[in-house]
Amino acid sequence: MSETIYRRMSDLPSTHLLGGGTAMCAGCGGLQALHQIYDVLGTKTVFVNAAGCMTLLSVYPFTPFRGSWLYTAMASAPAGAQGVRDALDILCDKGRLPRDEDLQVVTLTGDGAAYGMGLSATSGAIDRNLDFLYICYDNEGYGNTGQQSSPATPHGAHTATATGPAGHSGFKKDLFGIWVANRPAYVATVIGTEPLDLARKIEKAAKLSGPRLILALAPCPTGWDFDPQQAAEIGRLAVRTGIFPLKEYLDGRVVHTKVKRPRTPVEEYLRAQGRFQHLFEPERRQDVLDAIQARVDAYWEHWDPSH
Amino acid sequence: MTRRLLTGNGAAAWGARLADVDYVPAFPITPQTEIIEQLGAWIDAGELPARMVTLESEHSMLTAAGAAAATGVRVFTATSSQGLLYAMEMLYTVAGWRAPFVLVNVSRALAAPVTLETDHNDVLAARDTGFLQLHCATCQEVLDSVLLAYRLAEHPRVRLPAIVNLDGFTLSFTREPVEIPEPAVVRRFLPGFDPQSVRFRASEPVSQAVAVLGGTPYSYFRYEMHRATEQAIAAFEEVAADFERATGRRHAALETHRMNDAEIAFVMLGSFATKAVDAVDRLRESGVRAGLVRPRLVRPWPAAALRESLAGVRGVAVVDQNLSMGKGGILHAELASTLYGVPDAPVLTSFIGGLGGRNIAPEEFFQMASVTREAAQTGQAPEPRLLFTAQELREVRRLQGIALAERHETTHSGAERSAP
Amino acid sequence: MYRIRFHGRGGQGMKTASRILGSAFFAEGFEVQDAPSYGAERRGAPIFATVRAAHAPILERGPMPQPGLVIVADETLLPMAAGGGVLSGMGERAVLLLHSAVDANTWKQRLQLACRVLTLPLRLEETGGRGFVGALCAGAAARLVGIVSREALEGAIRQELAAMPAQVLAANLTQAGEAYDAMKKHAGCVCEAPEAPAPGAVDANWIDLPFEAAELSAPDIHGALTSIQVRTGLWRTLRPVIDPERCSRCHWLCGSLCPDAAISPEAEGLPVIDYEHCKGCLVCVAVCPRHAIESIPEAQAREQEASP
Ligand SMILES: Cc1ncc(C[n+]2csc(CCOP(=O)(O)OP(=O)(O)O)c2C)c(N)n1
Ligand code: SF4
Ligand code: SF4
Ligand code: SF4
Ligand SMILES: [Mg+2]
Repeated sequence: MSETIYRRMSDLPSTHLLGGGTAMCAGCGGLQALHQIYDVLGTKTVFVNAAGCMTLLSVYPFTPFRGSWLYTAMASAPAGAQGVRDALDILCDKGRLPRDEDLQVVTLTGDGAAYGMGLSATSGAIDRNLDFLYICYDNEGYGNTGQQSSPATPHGAHTATATGPAGHSGFKKDLFGIWVANRPAYVATVIGTEPLDLARKIEKAAKLSGPRLILALAPCPTGWDFDPQQAAEIGRLAVRTGIFPLKEYLDGRVVHTKVKRPRTPVEEYLRAQGRFQHLFEPERRQDVLDAIQARVDAYWEHWDPSH
Repeated sequence: MTRRLLTGNGAAAWGARLADVDYVPAFPITPQTEIIEQLGAWIDAGELPARMVTLESEHSMLTAAGAAAATGVRVFTATSSQGLLYAMEMLYTVAGWRAPFVLVNVSRALAAPVTLETDHNDVLAARDTGFLQLHCATCQEVLDSVLLAYRLAEHPRVRLPAIVNLDGFTLSFTREPVEIPEPAVVRRFLPGFDPQSVRFRASEPVSQAVAVLGGTPYSYFRYEMHRATEQAIAAFEEVAADFERATGRRHAALETHRMNDAEIAFVMLGSFATKAVDAVDRLRESGVRAGLVRPRLVRPWPAAALRESLAGVRGVAVVDQNLSMGKGGILHAELASTLYGVPDAPVLTSFIGGLGGRNIAPEEFFQMASVTREAAQTGQAPEPRLLFTAQELREVRRLQGIALAERHETTHSGAERSAP
Repeated sequence: MYRIRFHGRGGQGMKTASRILGSAFFAEGFEVQDAPSYGAERRGAPIFATVRAAHAPILERGPMPQPGLVIVADETLLPMAAGGGVLSGMGERAVLLLHSAVDANTWKQRLQLACRVLTLPLRLEETGGRGFVGALCAGAAARLVGIVSREALEGAIRQELAAMPAQVLAANLTQAGEAYDAMKKHAGCVCEAPEAPAPGAVDANWIDLPFEAAELSAPDIHGALTSIQVRTGLWRTLRPVIDPERCSRCHWLCGSLCPDAAISPEAEGLPVIDYEHCKGCLVCVAVCPRHAIESIPEAQAREQEASP
């Protein structure tokens, strides 16, 4: 694969393709990642969207896109991508569409769709080796309906459906691992607060074909309960504490693109968010904090054993 | 033009083949599966230049179908029963995209209890989705209706997806002589798909099927789907006339048999209506002026044609091969609303028959006729009736005897134990 | 019937305000309806909530086209001449209460309103970095309608905020009490807004919706970037301002990290904020390595812009 054109921050696009005026919350980490992704992907794209916060990006008659968009439903955006991709291929093959009119098909969903309701459709798309890029903005809950627990909700977090003293009892599902197990073309995690890492990964993903996942952690002031101004700091802490590993899978190998040594205690990340406050007051829940830290440590013990 | 024996499923596949479809998203379900198998075989043999893809569910299948149609290709897909219901969210959704394609539904009764045989609750559950609906009575009609449905769905004044419905088993697996039109004839009747403004391409950005905020735009978009469906009445006339010119076969929105001077009429959908044709002829022989009205178009609903053909009729036996729990027959309710307030409207009698593939015997048609004549005379319709015999109840009792044997025993011994 | 509409932003507690007032009315023996607006309730986005109260069962539902009292929690929702939905349906007998330090007459002139305009210049109590504008609005509304006692108000706050920590509840009670007191002079100025028009008085103005082909009547947008017509800049309560002296043109970290892509460099490389769309999240303020971006209250920025 050719070298990246994004070697340093100054190589990043400085004017932006995604239009303003959307209904996303002030400080939305998902939108932060999306606009950076869009800058790299460009406008020869059609976004196939599932129900979630980002459905309200395009509300009649307003769209922030320079390219195209199709809203489907919560469960089946990858199947929508299948239909669009197949139809574009058919049109090109039959000479009814000039090749330069072709589009990159991009599925855009939240974690609820990606980890849960839409996973069957994703699985099918991977089975069929569908040539599509799946962007999941992961705000770790059903954000659009008020942040109920989803299969991506982290252990201990308060959500609208987990309000007890220990928070959400489950553990975040490993969507990266599920994809990787099926040996797709590319899988990467990104976050809007690491724009260079993000741009390189999107650049790579865009050049490949086949099923590709970009999993973007999306710090969510509304659902995670923090001041919007903190959005960037929380994103950075997610990486510094190692709770959100930046990594990619390509050609059968997983590579971590940012390894922090030493890692900041995960507590700092948790403390910054209202959804974890019950782990600190009125009473410190050392058991839950330890469980969370232990998971992070075990992860890095596996991937970065010397540190 | 060749005439050969084809099953209803075979006829549906031929319809898709002649329509020169580009794309076939698929998922197996009895009694539909043969359709996609046949199309797959033609594609693999290079006889049909289309692409078929098997999705992981009907929900995804309908999503892919709508998405491909919205991208600008001609799409064919098929399902049945549980599959149609599993896709229900997407039926409503893709109809709103205003991207036309054809979905063949092979009617099969719904679980629970799960069964394989036919009735119409599946397709009627899709009544309000925004899909047009054409219902078939013969295998010939299945082939013809697929072609008619493409012209209708793609009509510039309509632009909605269409369901072509055929009954499981009685059509799907039943062979009948079918005339297969020449491809060139079909091509003149149904030229290649013109996606108009509904398509994706790099030089023309479009955001399709976007959200709305508030009841005003929502009301507008949904009511325009209704308006477009209404337009399909006139469009169907036009399309059916073209089809007759091309093939010599006439398919009206409303199929009638001996209605000219009819005193009583049967109204029903689907393949069992051919049994009613026979019953009508026999009734006529015995001096009863009977007739049959069979809506081929169910959406749009040919209300004006129904009122016209039932004018002067004194009693109508509505035979519903479906059941709306707590209300009764769906067709009965539709017809009652159609005739409400019409001067000298006929008395409607309601019969639920053919659920889960149960047969409707000739004597039952004759009995329905006499009940309806009596109702017309007294002006008083009897309670709706399930076509179900004493013999059938005995059969159920026999089954229950086996199914409940265990429970009888336990309750019995339990009673003994608790005795003082 | 009393008809009250609260306007604020997602996250400011307008739903809570409506519930407090609703519960207070209820405690006073009224039949009550309270409801938040629904739709895209995004933090920062304009939202509203309504309360109806009457002595007879309430049959009216849904939108409230003719309020007797409108309370605006955030004056930045009322940019010059563009009240948007905030002022809709305000007849001459209605009352508008603005949470603003600017005096009522100035607002009345700016907005060119015939109705009564009041302002509530109270500063917000801050506890744990949060103000309680919802409680403030509810307290003011309770006094303006004139028939809600302080006890009923406080009872309603305790009830609605039962799940809150004690100091948050206390702060809300104080805030509401101050607003209640501040409105003493105007107690009872809200009248029970007129009932629906008499039958036949107003035409429904229906039309027959004409058939339109799918080219026109599909929910599709044939075009790009139309969202820029939506001025999400109106969501802002704090405005980020870049100091060109301090800015090092650091390759526009602020521009990448601005969630709304509202920062782009001009020709000389100086980043420029698109105030039409900047939502005021202040992420840029937090990330600028040179601390070259500061935040000022939006109201103050607008005042400065308005004065030559
Ligand atoms: C079939 C179906 N069930 C439920 C919903 C309601 N719903 C809309 S968005 C949403 C949450 C989606 O969560 P996620 O995918 O994480 O996206 P987010 O809202 O967080 O952006 C839900 C449950 C729906 N649209 N469709
Ligand atoms: S709820 Fe969270 S993810 Fe959704 S728009 Fe708001 S900030 Fe973004
Ligand atoms: S981040 Fe700060 S220093 Fe860098 S361009 Fe923006 S304002 Fe200037
Ligand atoms: S405050 Fe800064 S980061 Fe937030 S929207 Fe405005 S310009 Fe962007
Ligand atoms: Mg989510």
